[in-house]
Amino acid sequence: MSRAAIEIRGLTRRYGKTEAVNGLNLTVRAGGCYGFFGRNGAGKTTTIKCLLNLLRPDAGTLRVFGLDPQKDEVAVKSRLSYVPDAVAFYPWMSVRDTLDYFASFRAHWNPAIETDLLRRFGLDPSQKAGALSKGQRTQLALITAVCPEPELLILDEPTSGLDPIVRREFIETVIGAYQSGDTENRTVFVSTHLISEFEGLIDEFTILEQGRELLAMPADDARERFKKIRVRFAAAPGRLDLAGALRVQQTGREAEILANGNSERLLEALRAKQPQELRCESLSLEEIFVSSKILTQANP
Amino acid sequence: MLFQIDFKAGKPVYRQLMDQIRYAAAAGALRPGEPLPSIRPLAEELRLNRNTIAKAYAELESQGIIEILPGKGCFLKENGTPFTKGIRQKLLLSEIDEAVVTAHHLQVDREAFLAMVKERLDYFERKAAATHDENSKTSPRRTP
Repeated sequence: MSRAAIEIRGLTRRYGKTEAVNGLNLTVRAGGCYGFFGRNGAGKTTTIKCLLNLLRPDAGTLRVFGLDPQKDEVAVKSRLSYVPDAVAFYPWMSVRDTLDYFASFRAHWNPAIETDLLRRFGLDPSQKAGALSKGQRTQLALITAVCPEPELLILDEPTSGLDPIVRREFIETVIGAYQSGDTENRTVFVSTHLISEFEGLIDEFTILEQGRELLAMPADDARERFKKIRVRFAAAPGRLDLAGALRVQQTGREAEILANGNSERLLEALRAKQPQELRCESLSLEEIFVSSKILTQANP
Repeated sequence: MLFQIDFKAGKPVYRQLMDQIRYAAAAGALRPGEPLPSIRPLAEELRLNRNTIAKAYAELESQGIIEILPGKGCFLKENGTPFTKGIRQKLLLSEIDEAVVTAHHLQVDREAFLAMVKERLDYFERKAAATHDENSKTSPRRTP
């Protein structure tokens, strides 16, 4: 069993009477890229803030690199970087000043990555941070996060509100400049709504629902397990009675069926009805997220 | 070589990469001794986790299809696959089964299906011969 970069057990955090996080369990393997999905208000940012010791948990345990972020705050923070969704820099500082300022807090800073990314993003080092666009601020934040070459990169909705080209560059940078270094010790923990853009990057994920994990599994396993079957008959078949299907949606001669690990059996049952066309495809991570409530019902 | 990743294919992404490399090797698009794309640029281009590509390459190496030379990269191996004939045929069987099932759904009958298989075999033979000719004409044979 490989080491865990993050380990969360029974995490609970309330705001007044509202339970933002309510008994969350989660383990992030070191060296992987972990997706943290949930609707607005599901508790993603609260969880991340607890990891960074910006909020104190009401109950449960948190470990980052096996350390307690409350007791060993400096040891934990020196080994990770964080890119929040809304990035703010001191507006009077230039890009150059900002980078030097961030570097001054770090034991290690890779100047080659800095030069490379400044050129790649086309950022002017003499420009004032206050004059940067939202996209440029995110790019600057990414440079400050990647240059220390931390063991853990925590991204909270990093690409929301950015144009498609900046989003693409962002993800390529995470893969190229960050992930390709010392690969055993490069872990990405990303909370996002733009799941399809991160699909290729994510190898494990948790879907958070009302402060608790609804579904947690490796991405390949999820795509293997959750499938969508489309079928068309020569004549309307009447109500399809398919034992084990998670959901059957019928319109006339066509039907769409959701399968949870039993697509082979369902396909066989449908084949026996002599369909004109029968197709089966995996759900994407985004579709899995959207349908997660249905998918997590037990097979009837 | 160019890759096409489909997250809805129901096949793990590393398997898709492996299959496409094998396909390219069978079609002559990738010749023995030729390098495979390096992991980092390929990961960036396909926006895939680099571990996924590393896993595909490692599996292909353990199957004896490519060799990984530290510091140099990954290359298609000269002698193809080390599997015995029986195992190779067994590996192929599941892929054939898939095609047979698809043919059934598309109502392609036995004769038409077999004719198509023959046609594809001829196609790949012609293609491999053509790229080989071109290669020997334009440049001296590369040594791995």
